[in-house]
Amino acid sequence: MNEFVIRTHNLTKKYHDRAAVNSLNLSIGRGEIYGFLGPNGAGKTTTIRMLLGLIRPTSGKVEIFGKDLQKDRLNILKKVGSLVEYPSYYGHLSAVENLEAIRRILNLPKSRIAEVLDIVSLTKEARRSVKGYSLGMKQRLGIASALLGSPELLILDEPTNGLDPSGIQEIRELIKRMPKEHGITVLVSSHLLSEVELMAGSVGIIAQGRMVFQDTIEHLQHQASSTIEMTVSEPEAAVWIARDSGLTGQLQEGRIHFDGLSNTQVAGLVRRLVENKHDIYRVEEKRKSLEDIFMQIVGTGGSL
Amino acid sequence: MMLRALSADFLKIRGKGLWLLIVIAPVGLVAMQALNFGLRYDFLTKLYAKDLWGGLLDNILRFVPIALFMGATLVSSLIAGVEHQLSSWKQLLALPISRTAVFSAKYTITVLLLAVSCVLLSIGSAVLGIALGFPTELPYSDLARIGLYPFIASLPLLALQLWLSLTFRNQALSVSLGIAMAFGSIFTGNLGEFCPLNWPLLTVEGKHQGVFLGAGLGLGLLIMLIGLLHFNRKDVA
Repeated sequence: MNEFVIRTHNLTKKYHDRAAVNSLNLSIGRGEIYGFLGPNGAGKTTTIRMLLGLIRPTSGKVEIFGKDLQKDRLNILKKVGSLVEYPSYYGHLSAVENLEAIRRILNLPKSRIAEVLDIVSLTKEARRSVKGYSLGMKQRLGIASALLGSPELLILDEPTNGLDPSGIQEIRELIKRMPKEHGITVLVSSHLLSEVELMAGSVGIIAQGRMVFQDTIEHLQHQASSTIEMTVSEPEAAVWIARDSGLTGQLQEGRIHFDGLSNTQVAGLVRRLVENKHDIYRVEEKRKSLEDIFMQIVGTGGSL
Repeated sequence: MMLRALSADFLKIRGKGLWLLIVIAPVGLVAMQALNFGLRYDFLTKLYAKDLWGGLLDNILRFVPIALFMGATLVSSLIAGVEHQLSSWKQLLALPISRTAVFSAKYTITVLLLAVSCVLLSIGSAVLGIALGFPTELPYSDLARIGLYPFIASLPLLALQLWLSLTFRNQALSVSLGIAMAFGSIFTGNLGEFCPLNWPLLTVEGKHQGVFLGAGLGLGLLIMLIGLLHFNRKDVA
């Protein structure tokens, strides 16, 4: 991650003194899939609208491809494709006509329309009016529109919102292909960690307008370290034995919890307990899910 | 860049009933007079015996301002509605195109559509006159004037309506204001020459036709520029 595609510097948007986005510093490297996470109302969409120049920041700066968005908006937007929240389309037109309306503005060759329809597998339905499309198809058309200008950066705001599981998977596979096959950097926002986890390399978590976590997904998963839970015949005594061998366990409801034990540590502890005539009923591994961590990071203030 | 947006706009209004509206309005105005003259042919031809064409055009002219105001209101609202309906603004304005180009294209398409209506009105009036057996020397300049002049004088209202329609997602505000002004224009006659609603009539009759044409163009341009400035700065929800 040597080159940044998107960087924001203390990006802030206030509505009547209430900061919807507060001093946000976002950095997204080239060729990444960046998951932008946060509960509803955390400021994801507001941030994305600022990235696209749809709304003006109260203060702070957006840099895309190393250029200032305020000054170079049109040049930057030539290389950006976007889908903000639910897809925008003209219902009375067919998919081809919808794309044609955008193509005329972008001034591209007509062949591009067939290409993007093929990427999102809508070629068969392309002549039907979009009104009759399923939500998944509309969403794919939205992605096709975003891809029309062969962008280097794709900004997708909640692209799987309201889709059924198969629709979600389709969109996810589509997004995962972007960096590999087309060299596109993707920013994808969501309020579901489980979903982002499956495609993103880096994540940024935003809560109440502030960035509370920004790192790789491995780093986030690392925080999801496991706990070993033991149920033994004489827990109080067992805690002392463990402490004797340098392991600190907490006693809760007759069970002992240890944080982050290695296999050898577990084996050693079990052996010592058995040698001291303890009966061991259960040794369980409890893994904190990413959702738990997400909730922990986001706090209880969110509306999740 | 504006032309590209304009070409996209022409595509977007397909199947929206706009073209129908554009044709029906002038046809309706002419049909009204066809009925008027058809029913009281002897009475009216005697009344306007000196200048048959003048009599016909004068009758048509009575209804031109209200039709123009209504037309500007509805066309503006329909043009804006295409984008409002499914919140397409966020997609359109995130494209590499300046907001000035987007706004200018919307303004141009509205003006062009209404201009088509006005040309059809001139042609329709001529056809009606011929059908009524009026002298074959057509009063070309008067026919052109009835289509063009009131239209130019109604540009301020058009600019205002388009601005309101583009700004507010809810079209109830702009449409009710437009219709109120259209019907109000029947009663504003005695407010004098300073009321812009009276200008369309004053460009055809009265002494200072040129002044009102200029005023219409000027005020129309001014309101359009204010609308454009606002459109350039506003946040897109």
